[in-house]
Formats: sequence, structure tokens, C-alpha cells
Amino acid sequence: MMKLQFDWRSRLSRFRVWALSFRGGITLLCLVGLLLVPLTGREYLARIVITAMILTIFAASWDLLAGFAGQVSFGHAAFFGISGYVTAAFVKFVGAPWFLAIFIGTGWAVVFSLLIGIPCLRLKGPYLALGTLAFALILYNLFLTGTWLGGTEGISALPNIGSVFVEFYIMAAFMVASLIIMRAIVDSRLGTILKAIRDDEVGADAAGINTTVYKLVAFMVSGLFAGISGGLFVLDITAVNPAVYQPLYSFYAIIMASIGGIATIYGSIVGSFLFTLLSEFLRPLAAASLLIFATLLILIIRFSEEGVMNPFLEHVRDLWDKIRGR
Amino acid sequence: MYGIYGIRYEEGKMGLILEVKNLTKKFGGLTAVNDVNFEVHRGEILGLIGPNGAGKTTLFQLISGFEKPNSGSVRFNGVDITGKRPCQIVNLGLARTFQLVRSFRFLSLLDNISVACLSPRGREAFGEVGIDAAASSILASVGLVDKARLPPVILPHGDLRKLEIGKALGTNPEFLLLDEPFSGLAHEESAGITRLIEQLHEEGVTVFMTGHVLRELMTLVPRVIAMHQGRLIAEGPPKEVASNKIVLEAYLGRGEGFA
Repeated sequence: MMKLQFDWRSRLSRFRVWALSFRGGITLLCLVGLLLVPLTGREYLARIVITAMILTIFAASWDLLAGFAGQVSFGHAAFFGISGYVTAAFVKFVGAPWFLAIFIGTGWAVVFSLLIGIPCLRLKGPYLALGTLAFALILYNLFLTGTWLGGTEGISALPNIGSVFVEFYIMAAFMVASLIIMRAIVDSRLGTILKAIRDDEVGADAAGINTTVYKLVAFMVSGLFAGISGGLFVLDITAVNPAVYQPLYSFYAIIMASIGGIATIYGSIVGSFLFTLLSEFLRPLAAASLLIFATLLILIIRFSEEGVMNPFLEHVRDLWDKIRGR
Repeated sequence: MYGIYGIRYEEGKMGLILEVKNLTKKFGGLTAVNDVNFEVHRGEILGLIGPNGAGKTTLFQLISGFEKPNSGSVRFNGVDITGKRPCQIVNLGLARTFQLVRSFRFLSLLDNISVACLSPRGREAFGEVGIDAAASSILASVGLVDKARLPPVILPHGDLRKLEIGKALGTNPEFLLLDEPFSGLAHEESAGITRLIEQLHEEGVTVFMTGHVLRELMTLVPRVIAMHQGRLIAEGPPKEVASNKIVLEAYLGRGEGFA
């Protein structure tokens, strides 16, 4: 048995060391900056950042499955959407409080991740991507042509979960907790096994690892966090319609995770904030914004294969060392 | 009782550890393994020789569960393992290495071994908390402990061969299938692997290994079986098998065929 004693003094000193380290310092700085956003009193900015925080969880959930377990999904919108719909339905038709609704919605996302994961287990690489894409498209069409849950219109006019500033801190808490948990998972023994399956599935099998079980676990964990973000997304915009199942949403996750850096989890923050802020600020340019965006994306992928976060942090670190050395 | 590698030493359990009966595998029109029968005794080192394309690797694939046979059976420790999944077979204590070295490219050498120690059989042997210690002691026993934090991609081929064996040891095997453990190695490196296999054998691990060059196996193996075109053609001490007329024909071709 491990000792469950809580040694505050050693925790505190470890925290000091971490906070004074480069990574710890940057993390704390960003966190404080984030928490100060609502205090500027700008509702518009707070709204954009809320969207970015929700999409961060979504992108990180894709990164966990694709970047760490090597299972590239093109249908992540399925988990995002199903949880969004269930959350909305429970709030609207059952009158459940939002935190209960999101809990149920996430549960459905996990069930669907199993439903999608099991038939897709034998698929690899591009075939897995197509298989997952097909599942999301099936859901999209089912909800688009069906008459249940609002049909084409979806469900709208959900109650707000609070003022924009309350909502901001709730979403921030969800984002921080989700990211810390996901990072802890990929750094754990489970993470080591998932990375081994990603690097060499046959080799993992030969090492006595039941790859089927662990791939399904990866699907479920990823589906869980995609579900959380889907539920939060719907609560934020207070409506849901079949468009959430569109391949576009799956690709959002892929694009954001790729910009930030695949197999990093925290890169999703950088990716989704860049993506959301940029697409918001380029919105007045209409069609031209897409052009700029696409160009930027190509440049990032061409010149920074590992995403922008880690190379950027290295540059900042060099600069920091220079300043201190002066 | 545990040996220096942490591998369980089964005392007093003699007899057959592996029984292969009428094993046949066809790929389309080609019969890669044709009605093969043999037994491996507990604690022995058995060699499998044969020219390229004789079916040695296919035989290993069938035993380790990576291919399903068309007919015949494989029994390990009295348990029928025919058609079982590779990970199930590994967790019964039958581990293997590959002719073409495999590794988890983005994991450190220590984690490469840890993955095997995290298999159900590994956890049972080393305990949940002993994984890291077990992995580093295995790494030490294959002579890679000073490179524990490095990724395998930057390792020379000889080290990857050692890592390959190390990964198999992480699952705490009773029986090791070594597919061409000497392939691509210089003489000194081969000697290192030979010593390692001898040590494992002393700890009670049963070893079944291939090699298409007989010379490497000669010193290590008291008994070999020879394969040609999917069939077993000879069995006995290496010297006898090496001078067997059918085996020589298999390696060198039939004299009259070229006349």
C-alpha cells in the first residue's frame, strides 16, 4: 500500500521548485493571464476565450487518441455531438441541472466511443480514419433527417448556466482539470502502454499487452473528454443542431491539435486559442479570412512539423537565458 | 525462487514444455509449414536450422500465435494454445523475438522493457511497484543499462538485438522463441548474445532458436531440428545433422540438378 499521507511542506516546496522552473513559470503566467480576462470587463473577449477553452478540451481529447494511442480518428465530432445533444435534451426536456446533464451526455459519448471503437478495432491508418468519419456522417444524417430531438432545427433556447463571467470560470476549471487529467494519463503506465501500441502494435502484442483492450480504453477516455467538451459547447451557445456532427468539427480538433503540436496534450491550448482568436479576428474579411487561414496552416505544417508550442517555448527559453546571463 | 533476472525458476518440473503435432500452414498454393511434428523438453536449448525460405519463421509465427495454422495443434505446458492470440500465449509464459528487430521508437529503452513488464504476467512476477526496478535489472542483464534513457532509434543494430531479447524477458518467460538472434551481428556481438542465452538457460528458461548459419548454433545447442520446404528433414546433435546428406542437399542443392 502506498502512503496516503499528505505532506504539505514537501508539496509546497515541490510547488515552489516547479513554479520557479521555466515550464512552471510559463504555465502559471498563462493561467493567471487567463483568469484575469473576465476582469477586463470585455464580454466579447470573454466569449471568444470561453469557446477557445472548450475547443481546447476537444482538441486534447483527439490528441490523446491520435497522438498517444496512434488511433487517428476523423470522426471525433460524433462524440462531441452526441454528448451535446444528450446534454441539451436533458436540460431542455427533463429540466436537469446543467452539471447533471453534462454528466449524462458524457456517459453517452463514452458508450458511443465503444460502439465506434469495437468495429473500428481491426482498421488501421487511413482505413480507421475513414471508418470513424463514416460513423460521424451516419449520426449527422440520422439527426438531420430524423424528426426526433428537433430534427434539422435541433434544440435551442437552453437556459444560460450563469452570467458570462461565472461561465468563464466554470469553463476554465473544466479546461484546467481536463488537461491535467489527460496529461496525467499519458504520463502514467497506461500512457506508456498506449504509446507502445502507437509505435508498434505487433511488438506490443508480443510483449503480452492485450492491444484490443487498451485501444478501447483509449477510445473511451478520448470519447469521455470529447463528450465533456461537446456538452460544454452546447451549454455555451445554448443550442444544438445536427451541424455539430459535421466532419468540419472533427477537422477542427485535428487542425487545433496539429497547430499546437501532436502528442503534447498542452499543445492543444496553443492550437485552439490561436485557431479561435484568429478565425474570430479574421471574420470581417469574410472569404479572404479563409485564404489567410489556409495559408497560415500550410506554413505551420510545412515549417513546424511538431506544432508551434514546443519550438516557441524553446525560443522563449533561449531568450530568457540570454536576459538572465546579461 | 527467482534468478538474477527476476525470472522464475521452475524446479523439478521436467518433461515436455512444447508439443507440436501435424502443424500445417498454407499461403495460397504454397505450403510454408507441412505436417510438422516435434517436441521441446523443459530446460533444453533446441536449434532450428534450414535454408532461407524453409518455413522457420512461419513455424515461429504459428507457435507464437501471429498466424493461425490450417491444421495441427500446438500444446504449451499441456495447454492447447492453437489459435490463441499472441498476447494470451505470451502471458502463459511463451515469449518470442523477431528476426527483424522491433522497438517502440519514441519510448526510452527502459520504457521499452517496462511495457513488457506491464503485461499481466510481468505484473504478476514483478509487482506493480517493482516495474521500474525489474525493467532496469533486465536492461542491465542484456548490457544496455547505461543507455536506459535513450530512444531505440539511435542504437546500433547489435544493441537492438539485445533490446529485442530484453523485451521478451520483461514478460517473465518460461520459454523463449528466438528468431535469428544472431542475424546481422559481428562476431563479438554474437558472442555476447550467446553468453546471454547460456545464462538464461542456466536459470531454467527453455530456448528454441533459429539460425540459418549452423556454425553459430553449434556451440550453443545440443540438439537441432532441420527444416526444408516446410518439412522437418532431420533431428539430432548439430554435428550429425550438419553432416546429414539430406540437410547438405537442402543447403547446397542436389548435385545432379546442376549437372
